Amino acid sequence: MARKAEKGIWLRKITLSLWGFVCLLPILFFASIALRPRNEIISPVPIYFPTLTTETWAKIMEDWPLLTYFKNSVMAISGSVVICILLGVPAAYALARYKFKGREDIGFYILSTKMMAPAAVAIPIFVLFGKLHILDTVWALMLVYAAMNLSIVVWIIRSYMLDIPHEIEDAARTDGASDLRILWSIIVPMCMPGIITAAVIAAIFAMNEYLFTLIIASKNAYPLSVALANFSGGSDGIIYNAIALVSFMAFFPILLLVISIQNHLSRGLTMGAVKG
Amino acid sequence: MNSVAMTSSFPKRAPVRRSPFLRKAFPYFLVGPAVVYLLGITLYPGIYAIYRSLMTGKFKLDYVGLDNYRELLVDSVFWASLGNTMILGVITLLSEFVIALTLAALVYRDPWVKAWRILFLLPMLFMPSAVSFLWKLIFNDGRIISDLMSRIGFNFGTIDFMSSTSLARLVLVVTDVWQWTPFLFIIFVAALQGMDKEVEEAARLDGASWRRIFFNISLPMMRPVIAIGLVLRGIDIITMFAPVHIITQGSPGGNTETLSYFIYRTAFRSFEQGYASAASVLLLIATVFLAQTLVRRFFKSGVE
Repeated sequence: MARKAEKGIWLRKITLSLWGFVCLLPILFFASIALRPRNEIISPVPIYFPTLTTETWAKIMEDWPLLTYFKNSVMAISGSVVICILLGVPAAYALARYKFKGREDIGFYILSTKMMAPAAVAIPIFVLFGKLHILDTVWALMLVYAAMNLSIVVWIIRSYMLDIPHEIEDAARTDGASDLRILWSIIVPMCMPGIITAAVIAAIFAMNEYLFTLIIASKNAYPLSVALANFSGGSDGIIYNAIALVSFMAFFPILLLVISIQNHLSRGLTMGAVKG
Repeated sequence: MNSVAMTSSFPKRAPVRRSPFLRKAFPYFLVGPAVVYLLGITLYPGIYAIYRSLMTGKFKLDYVGLDNYRELLVDSVFWASLGNTMILGVITLLSEFVIALTLAALVYRDPWVKAWRILFLLPMLFMPSAVSFLWKLIFNDGRIISDLMSRIGFNFGTIDFMSSTSLARLVLVVTDVWQWTPFLFIIFVAALQGMDKEVEEAARLDGASWRRIFFNISLPMMRPVIAIGLVLRGIDIITMFAPVHIITQGSPGGNTETLSYFIYRTAFRSFEQGYASAASVLLLIATVFLAQTLVRRFFKSGVE
């Protein structure tokens, strides 16, 4: 019996380690791509142990405005997160705390916009932004990312608000605090973990967005996700070390954000449906 | 309870008096801005897409009625993209589900669960466009897979993964599975950890094997979580775009095109926006219908 259990533990450790390698090896390989000279990326026989150097980075930075791409990403993403929180917190509060006609329908309508296929609305958005003359601007990206993430933000924050006991609000209300004041000085501070979780999840999805970004940004507004798709220069083919470098420029900030909310991650990803 | 009931209980200061109308309208003021914003990306585009789908032309628009739809319904490329979306979707979702559930079941009582979680999470933290280039490089451009296979004795020379439909699909599936299995894994682990340990312990003391405990106790309890995970992942997979755009661009011969890519290519490469809008409208109807039924059904139980 004990022997069997021990065998089970080893089998488990081996399986998990195998998947760990599946996750890790491509990432290490990608990192080595960012660190290797161009002529060692694509060769007749793949090179697994290249000469590692950061000298290529200067050339890449010279050819492409990587810092501008990064700045565009940061601006579009943080702006969209601000919009999401400003619109999302009051909406979540209404859905979590008030009884009103159509509450369920409004809540599910908001949630269902998450299921919208970007491709289905891409053409009208493109035409609309063209008419507003904001194509190829960071503002357009901001508006789209906010629209895309608003449903998630509302539902995550709503879920955290539902966890706050009513007694605290009731006491404040007895003391004569207005509804808006209760929201601002009691509810918002108490569901801060939820708001932060929602902001991080929205930031990740905004960083990942590709289809809308591809249509909207054509030169000036390139954020990281689409900028790297353009690192292919005629005879040079696809410039993989620049792509890898930009990928890691986006990866590390996201990693830090995710680690900061790791205990709330599953709850955030399921819009509050799974706690833990 | 609601606000109205509580304001009547002995206030120390006079409560803010509001007209009954204002009190009733207040929640709508709170939720209104968000709803208006969202209608901007759902209702307006829906109406515009319907309007545009009845027109043809690039600059000067001509009304053509349902011609675009008629053409679409007999367009083999459109049907191929629909079929391909389904095939890719089913294979990808099933693979991700099985792998994620297996890993979650193995990991959730492991003492190192936190470390495993971070490790398995990593692929999800890269941008999908980056991951697409990574696997394009591994499979095709860098010849890594061909090389590794010849080293373990399967020498097929340099395989062009874009030359056959099933190989090109395989690349797309691997790309998506590698990146997004963590999504389901994280959710499943949280669900398993949130379960009552005592039930499992009791079953174990009664001599049940872990296999029976997992399939007869844990799995049924996870059902709502599994449903929500599959709905969220499924919708993402059906609208898969970045890997197709970056890795295959539909090759060979449009056989790996997804519906999203079909719409993008028709609208922004061939500039047939009327025709693409017709496809958008059909996709919109399908997603609205799916979203309404699936979301209501699965989130209600999970959320309350």
